[in-house]
Amino acid sequence: MTRIHDSIKDDATAKMKARDVSVYYGAKKAIDEVSIDISPDYVTAFIGPSGCGKSTYLRCFNRMNDTIPVARVTGTIELEGENILDDTMDVVQLRARVGMVFQKPNPFPKSIYENIAYGPKIHGLAEKKADLDAIVEKSLTRAGLWDEVKDRLDDSGTALSGGQQQRLCIARAIAVDPEVILMDEPASALDPIATAKIEELIDELSGRYAIVIVTHSMQQAARVSQRTAFFHLGKMVEYGPTSDIFQNPIEERTRDYITGRYG
Amino acid sequence: MADHTVKAFDEDITRLRGLIAEMGGLAEVAIAEALDAMVRGDEELGDSVVARDKKIDALETEVDKLAVRIIALRAPMADDLREVIAALKIAGVIERIGDYSKNIAKRVGMIEGRDRFEPLTLLPAMGELASEMVHDVLTAYAARDPSLAREVISTDAKVDAFYNSIFRNLVSHMVENPATISSAAQLLFVARNLERIGDHATNVAEMVHFAATGTYPPEEDR
Repeated sequence: MTRIHDSIKDDATAKMKARDVSVYYGAKKAIDEVSIDISPDYVTAFIGPSGCGKSTYLRCFNRMNDTIPVARVTGTIELEGENILDDTMDVVQLRARVGMVFQKPNPFPKSIYENIAYGPKIHGLAEKKADLDAIVEKSLTRAGLWDEVKDRLDDSGTALSGGQQQRLCIARAIAVDPEVILMDEPASALDPIATAKIEELIDELSGRYAIVIVTHSMQQAARVSQRTAFFHLGKMVEYGPTSDIFQNPIEERTRDYITGRYG
Repeated sequence: MADHTVKAFDEDITRLRGLIAEMGGLAEVAIAEALDAMVRGDEELGDSVVARDKKIDALETEVDKLAVRIIALRAPMADDLREVIAALKIAGVIERIGDYSKNIAKRVGMIEGRDRFEPLTLLPAMGELASEMVHDVLTAYAARDPSLAREVISTDAKVDAFYNSIFRNLVSHMVENPATISSAAQLLFVARNLERIGDHATNVAEMVHFAATGTYPPEEDR
């Protein structure tokens, strides 16, 4: 049972609503009936010790767990009222609407331009080269990378620095005009300056996209999110406004974790 | 409460709490001895109270440094964060309490005709109450006990009542014996200092409540 802070209300602006979602890896229950709303109005952070299920839960929101043969997901996750866990759901379409950014930047071994243009092309978002050019520029601008790469769009994406590659991946996710962006430790492989740029970017993108971030850095969760959910042993232990979770958590397990007493 | 995974963090917090306890202990003694010196006219003891205030000041500086260090190196969260912030503020308040005691001690030599002032029998009782507030609030701090902190807050009304009674007494004394106005005015300051000590102990109690619970005590207590 999740302890939800009183100030959290059912909100009308929720883009996605997960209800009683459980995930099994074979017989093992990795996530136990977790419900949450996500919205463009706030950035949601999932925190918790390694193995608590936060990444597993995050991956439910665009059905990345489908790629794991033994994984089974129950419950419902609605995206604009439609249950994405239904067999009839077009998963390719879903992943365009719910984008994902991973811990290690993973640009395609192609040019910077192609990295961004690939998604819009296969999803038929651009008819003419000029449309595609516009999407590439807009996406790179929103990801805060345009000025750094505009003169070398034909260079390989893998030639960029780690921080730039991660922003390229964010630009790639943005290019297909998603509604939700899932980030699984997007800055944990980056240096402090590149991390700060990602955090600043999250701040700028919030409002336009519903953003969920999984992070091991408590400071990062405190800096970038407005809502925080603490996971432990497959359960969502506590969920509330980020400032309350970090200043005055209700549950002892949350307190022990964020103050460094866990285990 | 479970220990931190990083042991040095626990050591820092323990040391911070130790410094606050030491400051509080010195402040308690300072109140008692300043009043003792005042009642008996013992200027030597008064001077010694004044001199020892430097130790309280030095401890405050030490608390400040350690608190800043903990924030910089450990990035404390939740109750750890509240604990450090509270310690910073509490140290400042205890330092002030020390100053009030010093102020009382400085006036020891300025009173003439001690046996003619009735308030000199009331002041030790008032001082005991103020000193008790300081003692109890530090016990509440050590035990992280919000209910004891609230009791301290409620005691402040008694200190205020003492002050009002001593004030009236001294004013009528001045009216009847204009020759004693200078000494009586000094005693008014002494009573005033004790009243302020009670207020400051109340502030500490609010910080203790905050550190323990994350909320300030309800308005009706304050």
